Amino acid sequence: MEEDSSIIKKHKDGDPIAFEDLVLAYQDKIYNLCRYMLGNAHDAEDAAQDAFLKAYQALPKFRPEASLYTWLYRIATNTCIDYKRKPVFESLFGSSEEGGRLIHDRASEDPSPERLYQSKQIDRALQEGLGKLSPKLRAIIILKEIEELSYEEIADTLEISMGTVKSRIARAREELQKIMQKYREQNP
Amino acid sequence: MSCPKTKLISAYLDKELSPGEKTAFEAHVQGCASCSHTFEEMRLLRASFANVERHPAPYGFATRVMARTAELEKKKTSWLVPFFVRFAEVAVLLVVITMGILAGEVMTNSSPATTTTNVSSALSLDMFDATPPGSLGGAYLAMTEVRNEK
Repeated sequence: MEEDSSIIKKHKDGDPIAFEDLVLAYQDKIYNLCRYMLGNAHDAEDAAQDAFLKAYQALPKFRPEASLYTWLYRIATNTCIDYKRKPVFESLFGSSEEGGRLIHDRASEDPSPERLYQSKQIDRALQEGLGKLSPKLRAIIILKEIEELSYEEIADTLEISMGTVKSRIARAREELQKIMQKYREQNP
Repeated sequence: MSCPKTKLISAYLDKELSPGEKTAFEAHVQGCASCSHTFEEMRLLRASFANVERHPAPYGFATRVMARTAELEKKKTSWLVPFFVRFAEVAVLLVVITMGILAGEVMTNSSPATTTTNVSSALSLDMFDATPPGSLGGAYLAMTEVRNEK
């Protein structure tokens, strides 16, 4: 992206506020990734800050022809996978005003209490599922389903082959589906 | 028993199959109960993510990140200052010593005769006489000797 190249050039030229522009451009994406990787707001902010700090230190060596945002995602994903504390999954869904509205929107076709309940059940099952996946499988599901990266972008982010992306996504979905199925059976 | 082609379901749902692979897979699913069942499960799973909440960064996040980068910069230069101070101290010391040696050489740099005389007189015991050379007593004696000769 031209804007990214411009920010990087300004930072390398010693512009003190150039890096802040980069943080503002990507803070929501990086924080959201960390939130779903680590499950709670406190650890997510801690990890997201660490990720940007690592990016700040590594930026002088960043190759301009590479993709900045997959590079940032890579740093953030690795920071979360190596995070010092075990993830504690708190209300990922419906915790904010936006989250509540999204649950309602999902049920809007049939806004019965039953539909709303089902919607919340899906979210609880998803949260349970994400929490029980291994960090590597959780990362690939989040990058695909939530951050909506393409297979090529995921391969670049995780530094794995396209073949590995395909097989890992398939395995992650299979495991997630099993965990969610078990959760629904235990919590009808 | 699961069909080996179920591993293509994910890529199919993500539109990552080539046109040829896609056509072949669609034809296969229609006749395969295992793939059909798994396909539906995967489709529902993907649909679960359709409206997930996106969490924006908390208020003031960028400011906190920039505060940490400023701290990092401060730590980078703080270890350099004592290094340069010590370096400067050593450099000044070397300059002073060198100047002292050079000054000493300049001050002791006299003619060979003078050097010899100075060495001789330094080695004799005349310095220990009651009227050593160069003293007032010695000068008086020299004057009286000259008068007696006259």
